[in-house]
Amino acid sequence: MSANIRTRLVVFLISGLLIPGCADNSQHSSGSSTDATTTNSASPAGGESKGTIGYTTMSLTNPFFKVISDSMTKEAAKHGYEVIVVSGDDDVNKQSNQIDDFIVQGVSAIVLTPCDPRSIGQAIKKANDNGIPVFTNDTGYDGDEGEVECHIATDNLQGGRLAGEAMVGLLGETGGTVLIVHKPDASSCLLRVQGFTEVVDAHNAKDGAAKIEVVATLDGKGSREAGYAVTKDAIVSNPNLSAIFAINDPSALGARSALEEAGKQDQVTIIGFDGEKAGKEAILKGTILCDPIQFPELMGKTTIEMILKYFDGEDVPQEILIPSKLYYKEDAEKDPALQAG
Amino acid sequence: MNAIEPKPQRWTAFANDYGMVLVLLFLIAAFSVLTLERQSSTGADAGHVVARNIIATHGTSGTVVVVAGLKPPDEAFLREATDALKAAGVTVAATIGGKPADARRTIEHVLQEGHSIDAIAATGDAANWSIYDRIESVGSDKCVSAAPTLWPTFAKSENVLNVANQTAIYAIIAIGMTMVIITAGIDLSVGSLVALSAVATAVFIRDTGAGTETGVGLMIVGCCVGMGVCALAGIFNGAMITRLGIPPFIATLAMMLMARGLARRLSDELSIQALPASFTWIGGAATFGIPNPVILMVVLYAVAHFVMSRTVFGRYVYAVGGNAEAARLSGVPVKRVTVVVYTLCGALAGLGGIVQSSKLGSGDPKLGLMFELDVIAAVVVGGTSLMGGEGRIFGTLIGAFIIAVIKNGMNLMKVGAPEQQIVLGAVVLLAVLVDTLKRRGTAH
Repeated sequence: MSANIRTRLVVFLISGLLIPGCADNSQHSSGSSTDATTTNSASPAGGESKGTIGYTTMSLTNPFFKVISDSMTKEAAKHGYEVIVVSGDDDVNKQSNQIDDFIVQGVSAIVLTPCDPRSIGQAIKKANDNGIPVFTNDTGYDGDEGEVECHIATDNLQGGRLAGEAMVGLLGETGGTVLIVHKPDASSCLLRVQGFTEVVDAHNAKDGAAKIEVVATLDGKGSREAGYAVTKDAIVSNPNLSAIFAINDPSALGARSALEEAGKQDQVTIIGFDGEKAGKEAILKGTILCDPIQFPELMGKTTIEMILKYFDGEDVPQEILIPSKLYYKEDAEKDPALQAG
Repeated sequence: MNAIEPKPQRWTAFANDYGMVLVLLFLIAAFSVLTLERQSSTGADAGHVVARNIIATHGTSGTVVVVAGLKPPDEAFLREATDALKAAGVTVAATIGGKPADARRTIEHVLQEGHSIDAIAATGDAANWSIYDRIESVGSDKCVSAAPTLWPTFAKSENVLNVANQTAIYAIIAIGMTMVIITAGIDLSVGSLVALSAVATAVFIRDTGAGTETGVGLMIVGCCVGMGVCALAGIFNGAMITRLGIPPFIATLAMMLMARGLARRLSDELSIQALPASFTWIGGAATFGIPNPVILMVVLYAVAHFVMSRTVFGRYVYAVGGNAEAARLSGVPVKRVTVVVYTLCGALAGLGGIVQSSKLGSGDPKLGLMFELDVIAAVVVGGTSLMGGEGRIFGTLIGAFIIAVIKNGMNLMKVGAPEQQIVLGAVVLLAVLVDTLKRRGTAH
């Protein structure tokens, strides 16, 4: 029995810890029970809250998504909206349950970065059926069961082309062999590689061009560990490798570690993607040549802008693509974000 | 819960049997209080209140537009408000249930036709739209909406059904896991088997059927294939453990890796779409308002409770876990019972996979990630001892609900994911602690 009392006591204590998070809601809860109506946008006496936006992201361990969610929270607060941020942790089931919870909470809009672009369809449909508008950012939804108001993402195809142009700039005169460190299960990365290959193929098709040959495309899973592992294997089978295109910064940095271990860092040049902080620092140091960079902060801000536009009664475009930009060492030297650190 | 066995000390027995139920009830009460929030007004009552107030302030000579969104109760709001206003002789220029853009266009249209709008009857959500200030001669101060009602978000009927629905998959798998743990074993492969079953079923339906046009018969065969594959994996687990003497932890760890790999291989690492509508019915639809997975869960628990408490097989399972050697000497077919238990666990994990992929409408090799841990946690919190020989099927159901309620409650309270993990870890630890203390208590 004592054990059970203890259980309950601790559970009670745990709940006690969590009460402060909710105190805000219970405060202005009494009051207008006699006064049946409130005119003007129904905003409760104290707060100016216009509603809540639920955001379920792919994974909060990737700093990229943290920047997006922070930017959304900041931008939404300016307009009187609160953003609830949760992470799907790469698990569609978890993300689908989070969407269920958003529906119960009666959020005004749902934003998601699908953990799986296809399996999330039923969850989007459920939000649709409950009359809640759905927006996606970064990764799109690929299916037709559900309806998404607007998708906000980096123009990955254009970004991939920029990486291809940087590669042609690097090897166009001499020719050479290239390894692509890919993540083929992400639609965004497929577009990046498609853009890259388009430009390189166009270069190779020119008369008398020094050929740039893609000798291997391997799955670096977008992670440092896997990027390192596949690069290690690739430099053994392709000892004359001249360059690497990695579809994001973690896998580019993993590739760099493998090159350094093999003493090939001067022979092989790396082009990455993303422009997250660690990537930009590597560009400043010269360990990565350049990145087509994304603008996660702008992506978050644009997402909120589209939601506001929706509530403004305007027609929202199906898709907004934010162009990428090449970022070299010169840009890193002028970047205020890198001076502070 | 029903199988209260007589114990020497009645009050200790009471605590043992109902302690976890009390914890669950306490959690429900606590989260109900903690999630007491203003619920945006909509529905028939709100429609009535709004109409009454407009008549009170503007009389019956004005022109009114009724606006609501697309949430299910918004329809009742529109109908009630419009009817009440019209009955009183108020001119209702338009009744709009739609997106903000639809509302703006309709209001502009009403104005173009020469009406002037005196008031806008709106749901709480629609009153928050920023469309009104953009239209001259309207403005958001013409919006009339009912005051938000105060109600615990946790105790909303949709949420209660959500929790039950989200628990169902874990709870179904936990039946098999309870039996395995009662035999003093463990099965780490259930998460991967969820993925394997989902993918095998989806691949079968895709390759033999006509995609979304597949008939119900073939769909059922597909589900049997998915469950069958997982049952085979369970037999394999059981055989490794009983015939080759490999510890359950290692045998099922190996299966966890192999099954996940097989699922990824079978699906080419992509989620498989194009499943028939009859398939999504299993996990995505509801019968008499109750989600189908919940009904399935309740039926399975009733059967499992009967099997474990009223049949010879059930007695054997407890005997094997209590003392395998003693059981063998008294004629219990220990090896056969163990194999059957792992087979059932595999098959139930397969069923869980079918429910899961049906709910999501896709066969995804990434499904069931870390399910084994959630399921084991549910069993342990439910009072089944990891030492074997002790535990109740309904205890596991309570355990699964305790975990689900804590997760859901914290989600509704906007507690972050890291804090949630800490709390859940603490809850599991507590449950084991209770088990240990109980054990020490009975030893004296």
